[in-house]
Amino acid sequence: MNELFPLLSFLVFPGGIFVLASGLVYEWTDRKLVARMQNRIGPRWFQPLADVVKLLAKEEVVPAGVNRSMFLAFPVVALAAALTAALYVPMAGFSPSFSFRGDLIVTVYLLSLLTLCIGLAGANTADRFSIIGATRTLTQLFSYEAPFLLALLGPAIVAGTWQISEIAGYAHNHWLILTQPIGFVVAIIGLMGKLELPPFDAPEAETEIVSGALTEYSGRGLALFRIGKDAELVIGLTLVAAFYLGGLSNPLEFLLKTGGLLLVVAGLQSLFARLRIDQVVGLWWRVGALLALLQLLVLVVLQGMGI
Amino acid sequence: MIQNPKPQKFIVPIGPQHPALKEPGHFEFTVDGEIVTSVAIRLGYVHRGIEKAAEERNYVQDLYLLERVCGICSHIHATAYALGVEKLAGITVPPRAQAIRELVAELERVHSHLLWLGVAAHEAGFDTLFMYSWRDRETVMDILERLSGNRVNYSANVLGGVKFNVDAAQADAIRRGMDFLEERTHHYYNIVTAEETFLRRTRGVGTMSADQAEALGTLGPTARASGVQRDLRIDSPYAAYTEFPVQIVTASAGDLEARFVVHVNELFESYRVIRVILDNFPPGEIEVRMPRRIPEGETISRVEAPRGELFYFIKSNGTDQPERIKIRTPSLSNWASVSATAPGHKLADMPMILVGIDPCFSCSDRSVSILPHDRQSKLWTWEDLRQYGIEYYR
Amino acid sequence: MKIGAMFGDVFQSMFKRPATERYPFERRPAPENLRGELFFDAAKCVGCALCVKECPSEALELITIDKAAKRFVIRYHVDRCTFCAQCVQNCRFKCLSLSNEKWELASGKKDPFTIYYGRDEDIEFLLAKAARRNLETPSED
Repeated sequence: MNELFPLLSFLVFPGGIFVLASGLVYEWTDRKLVARMQNRIGPRWFQPLADVVKLLAKEEVVPAGVNRSMFLAFPVVALAAALTAALYVPMAGFSPSFSFRGDLIVTVYLLSLLTLCIGLAGANTADRFSIIGATRTLTQLFSYEAPFLLALLGPAIVAGTWQISEIAGYAHNHWLILTQPIGFVVAIIGLMGKLELPPFDAPEAETEIVSGALTEYSGRGLALFRIGKDAELVIGLTLVAAFYLGGLSNPLEFLLKTGGLLLVVAGLQSLFARLRIDQVVGLWWRVGALLALLQLLVLVVLQGMGI
Repeated sequence: MIQNPKPQKFIVPIGPQHPALKEPGHFEFTVDGEIVTSVAIRLGYVHRGIEKAAEERNYVQDLYLLERVCGICSHIHATAYALGVEKLAGITVPPRAQAIRELVAELERVHSHLLWLGVAAHEAGFDTLFMYSWRDRETVMDILERLSGNRVNYSANVLGGVKFNVDAAQADAIRRGMDFLEERTHHYYNIVTAEETFLRRTRGVGTMSADQAEALGTLGPTARASGVQRDLRIDSPYAAYTEFPVQIVTASAGDLEARFVVHVNELFESYRVIRVILDNFPPGEIEVRMPRRIPEGETISRVEAPRGELFYFIKSNGTDQPERIKIRTPSLSNWASVSATAPGHKLADMPMILVGIDPCFSCSDRSVSILPHDRQSKLWTWEDLRQYGIEYYR
Repeated sequence: MKIGAMFGDVFQSMFKRPATERYPFERRPAPENLRGELFFDAAKCVGCALCVKECPSEALELITIDKAAKRFVIRYHVDRCTFCAQCVQNCRFKCLSLSNEKWELASGKKDPFTIYYGRDEDIEFLLAKAARRNLETPSED
């Protein structure tokens, strides 16, 4: 049984099937909420699943001028990274399947791997939209990554540990959104930047560069990237909810808290015009990083004073 | 991957098929990083030969053919043509018909400007504004459908008048629609002039001074946003614009924000003039009989389309078919402003600058030849044109 | 200068019915003077052919069966029609009208796009003649 457990947790719960299924559900909820906010009906419940099934069934075209094996490997690596990250977070309110000291850093890196893969996949192709999209994806990665990490470090510092399960346990008794509001805001906006949701969708701005780094992807590769992103949406929401919204102790709490966060994310998506990539970088480094650093400084000083 | 290691120009092609373009056109942006250094425009993907086709049909059939030059401002094309043919035939159209023409033209301007507002917002990635402005645009589309029986090609004109009358119930429906739209347009005005994220995409983008706008030959709201006082409805009133005049709307900044302001303020002006027409409808007939054969002669007919001055040249030879019809659409004149203002901006601003002139691609698909300043204009015969076409596509 | 100027709209529409409609399942009645499929009343026709002459898309054909008895058949090509109502405008005897009910005209087959208007026996006569001609000169495919 001992050999079977990691496999099961990777393939069924909390990784694998569970993350994929909930990813599709969250994607649908997000699309539906945005649609309702724009006074539209929105897609039916099976639309994300239908999209993925359709893409998986379609031919995957490998364009000329790419490194074939890399082209095929990037989507797989991206999805695998997202699924692995699911093992270290308190998915659905249960305690993480695996846990070790410093798994917060590993999780954040695994989550960035998806974006990195998208950027590299874009740079791998010869298409001009892809190359511009890849440049923008990577530029955006470098701008939000540091503030996002700093925002997750805040709870880690007050909890005195770098282990997700322990931070979540600490956060269970403390609504950190009240004590670290800046960190919460930076974390949620950083998550939107990570997922390239509007208004941070400059890397895949369809009116400029078609669909950015993934322009040349079709069929299976595109499907894998898409469900990878969906998985990351769930994992990201879980992390933020566990850290800032008083922890997740049971599935109901998980649903309510991540659902509430998703509502906020959907609202932010529909309220703003797309930011240009230079504006994104400016916003993150001039405002986001500074605020997150300020918050961190306050925390460190208070911690040092023993409060 | 770029195979060639030596430095070369990085050109981003947009079109003929591209999500930013709702109609085909080809643009090559030479970029240095994200900064655009030059723009090349190539049009002609939807050339349909309408001017030539018009020579093969009789005057009534042409009315419907020319209505289809543009999908958005269909009424104004038919109006320009009808006014020209009526001038050739020496016919006076009853005032009520002229008032209905102006009414439909202003309703069309409302729908066209709201459409532009949505498209421009979409290009800026502001899909919520896009959805709301298009939702409200349905109000005016419904009004037009209820008046004329069709949402797009209203076919309001016949030669010598208009097809339908406006009764009291319809007038009330229009008034209600205008009240609703006026309230919504106030809201949109506040959004486009106040929303910070949106202003960052429009303020100071694509700026054109009044002199530049004159030199580039821009027309319509694009020119008026730069402070050029040019509006045919005021400069040379046609249809019923002498009885129901409009005020000119201009702005001075010349950037995209100014174009938004001009478009939205023109909406208010249209609502006002629509109400005035409805309150003071001249009574009487709506159609006079038109001869089948139009006496020999030639005429120029100019009207103010939602995008600027629309120019028709009509030459008749005494039969029931025109000898020659030449159309110069406003979008065609505005293209030069895109290539002039784009360099120096970011690639991300390009869709906004393209859409900023409210382009109509199928309108622009006409032959253009640009002559140097000192050269005299040249007369092209049909044979010359044919030869030019053969050479061009060889 | 403000951020999130559309918040009011976004918030309110969460509690409002969506503006879009599920078209094939929900449909609004068409406006009274919608220009849909053409209807021709053969009994009133005098055969002046003004409608045919000025049709911009050549969607109408007038077939004279017997001029003296005023028996005419109109062959109407729905797929060519642009629903401009010029024929209705031209007709002095009001035998043409555009329906506001029949406007969903899409079809996968070609046959529904040719409509004959006239007396039943005249149409039968025409169709029989066309069928006979097809028999005599079999088509090449």
